Amino acid sequence: MRLAVFVSDYKVTVDTLDRLKAEKLGIILVGNGVYHTTIKENGNPSPLLKKSANFYVLSEDLETRGISSSNISGNIKVITYSDLVDLIFNDYEKLAWL
Amino acid sequence: MATTKLGFIVQRPPYKSENPKLALTHAIASQSVEVYLKDGDLVTADIAFIGDGVLNCVKNQKAMDIYKLTSTETHIKMALLLDLNILVCKEDLAKFGLTENDIVIDAEEFGAEMKTKVVPFSEITKMMEEVNHLLFF
Amino acid sequence: MGKLTIGCFSSLVGSMTLDFAVKLCGAAIDKGHKVDFWVSGNGTMLSIKDQRAFKDYSALEKPLKELMAKGLNVTACEACAEARGYHKDNTMEGVKRHSMDWYLASAFDADRVLHIGGE
Repeated sequence: MRLAVFVSDYKVTVDTLDRLKAEKLGIILVGNGVYHTTIKENGNPSPLLKKSANFYVLSEDLETRGISSSNISGNIKVITYSDLVDLIFNDYEKLAWL
Repeated sequence: MATTKLGFIVQRPPYKSENPKLALTHAIASQSVEVYLKDGDLVTADIAFIGDGVLNCVKNQKAMDIYKLTSTETHIKMALLLDLNILVCKEDLAKFGLTENDIVIDAEEFGAEMKTKVVPFSEITKMMEEVNHLLFF
Repeated sequence: MGKLTIGCFSSLVGSMTLDFAVKLCGAAIDKGHKVDFWVSGNGTMLSIKDQRAFKDYSALEKPLKELMAKGLNVTACEACAEARGYHKDNTMEGVKRHSMDWYLASAFDADRVLHIGGE
């Protein structure tokens, strides 16, 4: 299945994401989930970013939190709400909000 | 005649969050959805308890006695009575030191024939692949 | 164009999850998709009329009404609303109230379903 997983928290308290298997896995960072893209604890980036997936981050939620899109690493695609709609309809058939 | 299959995945423990209860009550609503659909069209609901969500299945919950609230245990029994497929992750039960003896397995007192199935997570993954849409609670 | 069903159970104020859901509804409608929006649990708070739009709080009544005018279909769980003292007479105009099977019926023919649980 092609599965898009929405991560809306910085502290992920469920390990579900580690267990999900999909032929195409997308991790869409929204809300406080956007902090995973740039915040480092003790110099270490978020372990979430080590997962094998296509990463996306919602630009509107980055900007809301004072994070510039220019600071986002190249392996994370910065998307708008409009792009998100296209991802939902064209790239992923199932959606999960954790 | 078409069928849409929904997978309800419960990952949170009960009571602090309304999510597990709402997962069960929404899944149970699959029994009356036909009023909105054409004859022969169906929506089916499979429910899986994973992670901390397996704690919803612990039996002897006294929510009604103490808080005058229908227990999640009762909602699970209602779901069994209505023949909904309920899966509980075997590995997550074991992680909490729980066995089948600790959880709601049947609702025989209500005449339910369906039983809770304790399965490996791989079976739950299979269910997630087979349904049309996933609803994580 | 397709159909998106969104179910959101998060409170009106506090997590901004409903704000996200409303904006996503808007983005999908602007692209010509059909959108059904189901609110249940604490999400039924969204259905109450006469929300005061203070800047310190999420204010979704106006954007929701604008989206309903563009075709967004908003339905609140009647049981969840009534349990919270939200009655028909204080429900926003245009917001429907139904039982939970409405959400499943909406999912029946949706191309995509995004279920956003509560807190």
